[in-house]
Amino acid sequence: MENHVLVWMDVVRDGLKRGDVTIIGFLSALIVVLITIVFFAFMRRGNKRRGILILGTCDAGKTLLFSRLVNKVYKRSYTSIAPNTGDYSIPNKNKTLRIIDLPGHERLRLQNLSNYKELARAIIFVVDSSTIQKEVKEVAEYLYTLLSDSAISTNCPPFLIACNKQDLTLAKGLKVIQSQLEKEMNTLRVTRSAALQGQDGAGNNNTFLGKRNKDFAFSDLKPLKVDFAECSAQGNDEQSDPDIKCIEEWLLKVA
Amino acid sequence: MLDFFTIFSKGGIVLWCFQGTSQIFTPSINSLIKSVILQERTGNNSFNHEALTLKYKLDNEFELVFVVAYQKILQLSYVDKFLTDIQLEFRNKYKDDLRQGKICSNYSFDHDFQRILREREAESKKEAQTAKTMRTFEQSQKSKKTVASMIENKKEEKAAKGKENKPIKTNSQVKEPEKNNSTTASVLTSNGELDEETIRKNREKLFAKIVKPKVESKPSPEATTNKKKVKVAAKSSNAKITTKDMAALDFSRKNGADMDSTQNQEIADEKLMSSEEFACVGQMRGGLRDIEPESDSDDDVQEEEIINTKTTDKRSGSTKKTRAGGMFSMFRNLVGSKTLTKEDMQSVLEKMKDHIIAKNVAADIAQKLCDSVATKLEGKVLGTFSSVTSTVKNTLNESCVQILSPRRRVDILRDAMEAKQHNRPYNIVFCGVNGVGKSTNLAKICFWLVENGFRVLIAACDTFRAGAVEQLRTHTRKLNVLHPAEKHNGQQMVQLYEKGYGKDAAGIAMEAIRYAQDTHIDIVLIDTAGRMQDNEPLMKALAKLINVNNPDLVLFVGEALVGNEAVDQLTKFNQALADNSNMTNPRLIDGIILTKFDTIDDKVGAAISMTYTTGQPIVFVGTGQTYTDLRNLNAKAVVHALLRA
Repeated sequence: MENHVLVWMDVVRDGLKRGDVTIIGFLSALIVVLITIVFFAFMRRGNKRRGILILGTCDAGKTLLFSRLVNKVYKRSYTSIAPNTGDYSIPNKNKTLRIIDLPGHERLRLQNLSNYKELARAIIFVVDSSTIQKEVKEVAEYLYTLLSDSAISTNCPPFLIACNKQDLTLAKGLKVIQSQLEKEMNTLRVTRSAALQGQDGAGNNNTFLGKRNKDFAFSDLKPLKVDFAECSAQGNDEQSDPDIKCIEEWLLKVA
Repeated sequence: MLDFFTIFSKGGIVLWCFQGTSQIFTPSINSLIKSVILQERTGNNSFNHEALTLKYKLDNEFELVFVVAYQKILQLSYVDKFLTDIQLEFRNKYKDDLRQGKICSNYSFDHDFQRILREREAESKKEAQTAKTMRTFEQSQKSKKTVASMIENKKEEKAAKGKENKPIKTNSQVKEPEKNNSTTASVLTSNGELDEETIRKNREKLFAKIVKPKVESKPSPEATTNKKKVKVAAKSSNAKITTKDMAALDFSRKNGADMDSTQNQEIADEKLMSSEEFACVGQMRGGLRDIEPESDSDDDVQEEEIINTKTTDKRSGSTKKTRAGGMFSMFRNLVGSKTLTKEDMQSVLEKMKDHIIAKNVAADIAQKLCDSVATKLEGKVLGTFSSVTSTVKNTLNESCVQILSPRRRVDILRDAMEAKQHNRPYNIVFCGVNGVGKSTNLAKICFWLVENGFRVLIAACDTFRAGAVEQLRTHTRKLNVLHPAEKHNGQQMVQLYEKGYGKDAAGIAMEAIRYAQDTHIDIVLIDTAGRMQDNEPLMKALAKLINVNNPDLVLFVGEALVGNEAVDQLTKFNQALADNSNMTNPRLIDGIILTKFDTIDDKVGAAISMTYTTGQPIVFVGTGQTYTDLRNLNAKAVVHALLRA
């Protein structure tokens, strides 16, 4: 075996000395291939799980939060059709995170989620605190889908549930939102596990979240860690600074 | 005149906006996005919301959306052109920023916007003053014609070559004599002043007349034109002639020489048309032949380039991936930069359309879908390794998944639980045409609900078909055997509410719901008689049933076997429910049950047709004969089956 290698080495060395075109061509091709492989590996590793996903239902304030974090400005926004991506540099640290804001519309959310969920280093789930009472079912359903997703439950990215729009007078507080969501998730556990199978028999995700024989609580989701925070991406008016300090602190923690 | 103009990225971030009035436009824009763009209805570019008309344009290269809004009552003819102008101007001005994805840089576009707006408005005013309605008519007619002939060319490809040449020849024939013979030309021009219908007819006749003598024997142009003229006159006098026609012909005879200026115009138009046609013909043929090999060779070149980029990147050592992204796109701009045009996609889209029609998607919906895909892709820069076909296919795939994903949540169990908490029954109405499986699937759903611990009352509101009630009774008995009362704390899980035949269905449903409320039954399933969508009295009866009882869910049962009929059924059912309701917000169909799905192999098109027509989700899929053959729709699997060759 070793002999073979030595023989080949000799042939190569000989060829190089003679300036044989075939040998040189062969070697350079080999080098190019190797470099490409290394480069791909490098890119793959570098890209992997650097993303902070901003998720939530329609009109929760995801895009505004995105532009607050990435561009530090107030921007008006409409319903998103496509995801936004941008870099967020952590203050006092030579590190950047990729912020990905996914559309919240029902038709788009799952399709987009499946494209980006592998990248999630952490997930910010934005909730509209002023309309939570009306939309609790939808919010909880989306959250349940997320938490029971197989890719997310293997990677276990930290979760932050950002109770946005605290500037509005009718906004609910963090504690209220948490308890409402927990109550709703408790019901969802039952209906989800009873839902019909998908056509191919594997479509339905019947993971049971939390502990059995006990009401659902976000603290039972270990190893998944779910935090809550109050924030206001808008601020009191267009010019004023947003109240997203807790999100920035949290990002510093997960980076 | 314009109320509002906005430019925003597909991510939803506003780059620039102009506001003419202080109205709040965000809801209008959001509803435009939600009900047009996200529903794959982008083939048509205008949308009405309340008192506004919104027009929009997608820029796929830079992922931008341009939206203009104005009052519905205004008829602004320049808006389309204005949108295009603004798009071009904006792209030119901020090309670099946009390419680097600097969404938040300062776009001060007000000045240019006002300038272009002024230009357009002045132009349209001028047009309005000159008021040459005839000419615009004429022009539009012609442009239509060229498009039509283009499409024909496409379809028939080379086979049509011979045919194609004929009309062109005739065109040139018409032209030549016109130059020589002023009197013949005057016939044409005077025809030009008629209404478009007559023009078209006359011209068709004319062409028919010319072609024949030309092909058979080739006499001198003068002879032909003379013949033609005579024949036209003769023909029109022989055929049923309107007085208008007569007047026109007389008119032409009277003033032949006076019309010289318009005549020239006419000739110029004629020339324009034929030259355009010529140009199109050439492009098409080339495009068709080239697409595959061209894209392939492109890929190869790009592949090499990328490898080179990577090696250089590596050598320079610390070039980070962010930079790599920049380099990547730079090279793409250098090498690839093949923007997709409508012509590029046409043949592929045509193929895709035929393919999905073959998979049972309704024809007009297939057309709309392809139009939407075309708008979505037009102007997009092709990815590094992607050919036109794969890009189109991927986009179509995405669009179909998007259509099949529900746009609102549907969770019957959850809602039924809530209704139970409020001490009222949850009511579901099943409707549909005859023989699609309403009762069978009602029984399956009933079984599923019972399995999940709900008590169900079946209301037999099909008081029409012989044996309908007996069928439900049999199902009830079977279900009660499967879930005997002893297992459920002595409660009978399924009950049947029947009042025999010939009674009013709405009344029975109402009594059933009241009975369920009194006896604390959780869910009422209301079975209705099958009816054809054209049967006016029966549709009225259905609307009454729904209006009176206001059920929580109205499910339309449709079989997966239908093709074009699916659209007709759903639109007519919806229409009937809307028409026969006296409420401001009529109850329409909330969801669809797709039955007989096991019988269709991969011809899954009906699923697309139905969801596209209503925008409502497919709640259940029936896949067999037994109680357990009920499934959720798996959008991805369906789309996969749909696009599989």
